[in-house]
Amino acid sequence: MKQIVISSFIIALVAALIVPGVALAQDKFPSKPITLIIPYAAGGSTDLLARAVEKIWPKYAPKPLVLINKTGGGGVVGTEFVVRSKPDGYTLFMGYGSGSDIVMPHLQKMPYDPYKDIVAICRLSVHSVVIVTGAKSEFNSVKDMVAWAKKEGKPITSSVSTAAGAVDIALRGLGKAAGINIVTVPSSGGADAVTMLAGGHVMIGGGHPSEVMPHIKAGRFKALGVVLPDRDPSLPNIPTLREQGINVSTWGSVKGIGGPAAIPKETLAYLEATLKKVCEDAEFKKIMADLDQPIMYQDSATFTKFLQQAYGDYGKLIKDLNITIQ
Amino acid sequence: MGIFDGIISGFSIALTPMNLVFAFLGAVIGTAVGVLPGLGPAATIALLLPITYSISSPVTAVIMMAGIFYGAMYGGSTTSILLNLPGEAASVVTCYDGHKMAQKGRAGPALGIAAIGSFIAGTVGVIGLTLFGPPIAEFALSFGPPEKFSLALLGLLMAVALSGDSVIKGLIIMVLGLLLGAVGIDPISGKTRFDFGVTELQSGFDFVTLAVGVFGLGEIFYNLEQQGSAEIVTTKVGQVFPKMADWVKSRMAILRGTLIGFFIGVIPGGGAVISSLVSYAVEKKVSKHPEEFGQGAIEGVAGPESANNAASSSSFIPLLTLGIPSNASIAMIYACLLIKGVKPGPFLIVEHPDVFWGVIASMYLGNIMLIILNLPLVGIWVQVLRVPYSILAPVVVLFTSIGSYSIANQAFDLYALIAFGVLGYVLRKLKFEAGPLPLAFILGPMIESSMRQSLLLSGGKFSIFVTRPISLTMVVMFALFVMVQMVFAIRRARRSPKIQKTV
Repeated sequence: MKQIVISSFIIALVAALIVPGVALAQDKFPSKPITLIIPYAAGGSTDLLARAVEKIWPKYAPKPLVLINKTGGGGVVGTEFVVRSKPDGYTLFMGYGSGSDIVMPHLQKMPYDPYKDIVAICRLSVHSVVIVTGAKSEFNSVKDMVAWAKKEGKPITSSVSTAAGAVDIALRGLGKAAGINIVTVPSSGGADAVTMLAGGHVMIGGGHPSEVMPHIKAGRFKALGVVLPDRDPSLPNIPTLREQGINVSTWGSVKGIGGPAAIPKETLAYLEATLKKVCEDAEFKKIMADLDQPIMYQDSATFTKFLQQAYGDYGKLIKDLNITIQ
Repeated sequence: MGIFDGIISGFSIALTPMNLVFAFLGAVIGTAVGVLPGLGPAATIALLLPITYSISSPVTAVIMMAGIFYGAMYGGSTTSILLNLPGEAASVVTCYDGHKMAQKGRAGPALGIAAIGSFIAGTVGVIGLTLFGPPIAEFALSFGPPEKFSLALLGLLMAVALSGDSVIKGLIIMVLGLLLGAVGIDPISGKTRFDFGVTELQSGFDFVTLAVGVFGLGEIFYNLEQQGSAEIVTTKVGQVFPKMADWVKSRMAILRGTLIGFFIGVIPGGGAVISSLVSYAVEKKVSKHPEEFGQGAIEGVAGPESANNAASSSSFIPLLTLGIPSNASIAMIYACLLIKGVKPGPFLIVEHPDVFWGVIASMYLGNIMLIILNLPLVGIWVQVLRVPYSILAPVVVLFTSIGSYSIANQAFDLYALIAFGVLGYVLRKLKFEAGPLPLAFILGPMIESSMRQSLLLSGGKFSIFVTRPISLTMVVMFALFVMVQMVFAIRRARRSPKIQKTV
C-alpha cells in the first residue's frame, strides 16, 4: 500500500515536472528577441525601413527585434547567413526582393537559390528607381536628357549605388530603350551615389526615393522620372518613363522580409500577421512618409508570386539589353 | 539666427541635466569602446539605437551617439600605445611611435599627450564646424572620384614614410597590403575576387582583424619566443605625465594635425585614417630629428591623434549642413534622426535649430568631459604595463578574439585573426616594419575604385586627373614629394662615398 502511494506520488511528481516542460517547449513564438539581419549598409533605404519596423514592432509582439547590419557581396553575405541559420523563425532578413534576389541570379552564380532556399514572409515596400539631376541642370525631364544626348552624341554619366544592382540595371535599360549611351558609375552604396551627384561629378543619378527625396525637397536635385510601370505612391508628381515615351520599367528594389525556407507554417503565419499590423499602424505610416517610402504590404503567398514575376521581368530585361558582368 | 545667438541657445540646450547625463554616458561608452579592440563606434551606436527611440528628444539621442563616436577617438589611442593594438582604424598610426614610447617607459607622457592633443583638436574642430560649416561642406562635395584617387595615392606615398630603414622592404609590405585589400567583391564590376570559394571572404578581410592581428598578436607571438632571454616589456613605468619639454615639442604637431585632420576629415570616405597618416608623414618630414620617428618620437603620437580627433569633429559637417553621412557611425546617427522625424540636410538649421546648435554645443562639452575623464585615467592605464606578461598576454588574446568575433559573429574571423598574428610574427622575425600594411590595405581599394570611377566619367581619358584643379594640386604635390625624396637620396649618396656598394 505504502509502495503504491509512493510510486503514484513519484509519477505525479514526474508528470508535474514534465508537463510544464512540454508546455515550455511549445511556448508561444516569439519567446526571445528575433534577429533581423540587414544585408546592407547603415543609413541606406533598407536599413531605414528595418529601423522603422523595429520601432513599431514592440507594440504588437512580446519580444523586440534585434537589428544587425551584415554587409558585403551586394547583399549576398547577409542573406546567406540567414539561409544557413536555424529555420525556427528567430533569424530573418530585411530586403528580400532586392537586387541580389531578383537581378543578380541572372548574372552570376549564387551560393544559394533565392527562391528555393528562402521563404517570403511578406512584402513591406517597393523602392523604385528615381532618375534625378542637379537643380541647375538644363534637363527638366527624361525627354530633355535623351534629346540632348542624341544631339550632342556624348554619353550621359550617371552615378548608381552598386554594380549590377537594381539602379544600375534600370539606368542601363533606360539607355538602351532610348537609344542613347548612359555610362553608369558604380559606387559604394546609395549615399555615396547621391554624394557624387550632389558634387556635380556626374550628369544624372539614379537612386531610391528615400535617398534622393531629401535633396529634392532641399532644392538641390530635381526628379526627371521614375522607372516603375505606374507612378510611385510616395512620389505622385513624378511621371514614369513610360509616360514620357520611353518603353522601359523595372520594379526597382523590392523590400520584403525573408527567412530560411524550412520555417514552420504557424511561425510564418504569426510573422505575416504581426507585420501586417505594423504596416497598418498610424505611427509607422508617419515614419514611412517621413522616409519617403511607400507602404506596400503583401502577404507571403502574394509576395512569392510577385517575386517570381519580378524575377522573370528582370530576366527578360537583362536578356534584351544583353547585360553581363564584364 | 546668427552664429552667436545659435551658440548661446545651443548651450542652454546642452546644459540641461538630461543632456549632460547623456553626453557623459556617450563619452564613457565611447571611450570604453575605443579601448576595446574589435567593437567599433559604428557597431556600438547600432546596438544602442533602439534605446534612443524611447528618448523623446532627438537632440538628446544625437548627443549621446555623437559622444560615443568622438569618445572612441580618445580611447582608441590607449591600447595602441600600451599594447600595440589599434582600437580602430584611425589609431593604427599611433601604434608606431606610441608603443615604442611605452616600451621605453614613457607610456604616461604618450597617453597624456594623446589626450591633450585630442582635446585641443576636437575643440578646434567643433569651432571650425560652427564657423565654417557650410562652405567646408561644399568643399567636401567637390571631392569627386579623381580627387579621391589623388588623395589616396598621396596617402599611399606617405605610407612609405612609415617603412623605417629599408624602402624596398616598405614597398614589399605595401604590395602585400594591396593584395590583401583586393580580396572581396570588386565594387565596379560586382565580381568576387580572390575568395577561393570561401563565402566569408566575399566582403574581404576586416581591417580591424588585420591590424590587431598583425600588430597586436604578432607582437605577442614574437615576445613569447623571447621568453627567458631578456625582459620582454619594460615594467618601468616612469613618468606619468608629459614633461614640459614634451609639450613644447608637440605644440606644433598638434596644431598641424588639427588642421590636417579637420580638412581631410570632411571628405566622405577618407576621413580619420588618411588624416592620421598624412599627419605622421608631415611630422616626420618637418622634424629636425626624423630618425627618432619609429623609435618613440612624441610628435608621432601628438600629430596623428590630433588629426583623427579633428577629423571626427569635421565629419559631422556634411551631415549637419547637407544631410550626407561621411562614415558608418554618422550614417547611424543619420538613420536615428530620420526615424525621429528630423531630416538632416541644408534646412536642418532652419527647421530644427535646437538639434543643430544643441549637438554642436554638446560637442564642446563632450570634449571637456573626455579630457577630464581621460587624463586621470592615464595613471591607471599605465599600471596595466605592470601586470606580468604571463597574465597580460593571454588576456589580450582573449579580448582581441572576442572583439574580432563580435564584428560579424563568425568563427572565420578568428582564424583570420590568428593567421594575421602569424603573419605579424613572421614579419617581425624577418625585420620588416609592418607599418605600411594596414594602410595599403585600406588605400588600395580606394585608389582602385576612384581610378576606375574617374575613367568611367572621363570616357577613358587619364587627363581627368590633371584637368581638375584639386586633383591637379595633389598630383603636383605627389610629384614634388617624389622629386624631393630623390634629390635627398642623391645628395646623401654623393656625400658618403662609402655607400658605393650597389645591390
